[in-house]
Amino acid sequence: MSFLGRALAILRKDLQAEWRTKERLSPMVFFVLLVLLVFNFSFELGGAALREIGPGVLWSAYVFASLLGLGRSFADERENDALDALLLAPGDRGAVYLGKMLGNLIFLLAIELLSLPFFILFFNLSPGFFLVPLLGIFLLGSACLASVGTLFAAMSNNMRLRELLLPLLLLPMILPALISCIEATALILANGRFEKLLPHLQMLGVYAVVFTVLSLMLFEYAIEE
Amino acid sequence: MGGDDPIVLEGAAKHFGAQTALHPTDLVITRGQAALLAGANGAGKSTLLRLVAGLCRPSQGGVRIGGRDLQRTPEARAAIGLLSHQTLLYDELTARENLHFFARLYGLDNILERIDAALVEVGLSQRQDHRVGVFSRGMKQRLALARATLHRPSVLLLDEPFTGLDTGASTALHRLLREFRTTGGTYLLVTHRLDEAEGLVDRLLVLERGRLQLDESLQDDLDADALRARCAPYLDVAP
Repeated sequence: MSFLGRALAILRKDLQAEWRTKERLSPMVFFVLLVLLVFNFSFELGGAALREIGPGVLWSAYVFASLLGLGRSFADERENDALDALLLAPGDRGAVYLGKMLGNLIFLLAIELLSLPFFILFFNLSPGFFLVPLLGIFLLGSACLASVGTLFAAMSNNMRLRELLLPLLLLPMILPALISCIEATALILANGRFEKLLPHLQMLGVYAVVFTVLSLMLFEYAIEE
Repeated sequence: MGGDDPIVLEGAAKHFGAQTALHPTDLVITRGQAALLAGANGAGKSTLLRLVAGLCRPSQGGVRIGGRDLQRTPEARAAIGLLSHQTLLYDELTARENLHFFARLYGLDNILERIDAALVEVGLSQRQDHRVGVFSRGMKQRLALARATLHRPSVLLLDEPFTGLDTGASTALHRLLREFRTTGGTYLLVTHRLDEAEGLVDRLLVLERGRLQLDESLQDDLDADALRARCAPYLDVAP
């Protein structure tokens, strides 16, 4: 079977299992909604304050929610040592990474899309054209998080302190992409010009591609004992 | 040393930091052989088995499966089936979905026919649409057997496969292993329960503190007491 075919088989299996259990998506969505709700009550976020902290609140919620999801992405494989069966399959083990990464990307996009109406509601935004470029930022930001996060989730999978290790590894590494996501979202909410947005889109695109390629190359070493 | 022997270790060793789990080991298991790998806890049995399965990388030396270097040729893993005391299955998926997933992962053809045949073979046709999470230990292990052999491997690696099996499942596994050998299959069996290996092996390998201390051919009909007597000097058990 082709590399992509094996990756898609793993993706399909993960989606099938998640459809039954909702173990990853539910906590992630509730976490994001709770963060938005808490910030909504803690600060009055209409007007100028929205542009100051709204994007930071939104992306911080997504990053911390992603930690919940990434931490669970290899949990099914740990149970019954199913990861051994994946690693036993013939062919490049990068397919395991790609399947898991695509799954994480889909889960992140799902929580972003599910929470967007609440962000608009809590932060007194009017739905409009700004949503279109925001969806692009969601896609690129999620690809950055999923690319590097899946590798670190695999690395910390066999470790005793994996819940602690994953954020310690991921947060410093994701910082450049996170800053771009926040600044790009702030620009969009302020109806900024596309030319100002472009460098952030380029930065996020390059980050996602570089870390996906690097992770594909390193995954085999990261996942072994 | 034949070029395409099913299992070949060439000076394969494994270190974890300063700890040596397996000292440099040379081993050839030829086609149709059934080897029992015995040793006390921590002797390096699981490490050796994982090296042969390609689940960990040797610190030095190499492992060849069917003449192909396991590290350089990932496709060589297609020849291996692993049955462990863990099922390597997904509890959230049904029996059929589990087998379907592994069939796709191995790029098998005639997937539906193979799955039907495998489910009949292990007696789980009636439960094929039930989630594995609700299966008994014996049923899970029977399904694990179907998973391990779905791609028709030529080498079976068995790590304590009898753990938790009821008498029926244990008998079925015995029958399958005998059939596997008659078709030219090779297997390496790791078990503490030497009585379960009775009549199943024709070669005895004993590891002690990461070194292969005993390697001898056996009569097929060797009973458990005779096996115990041979292993006793290395296992701290009464002969």
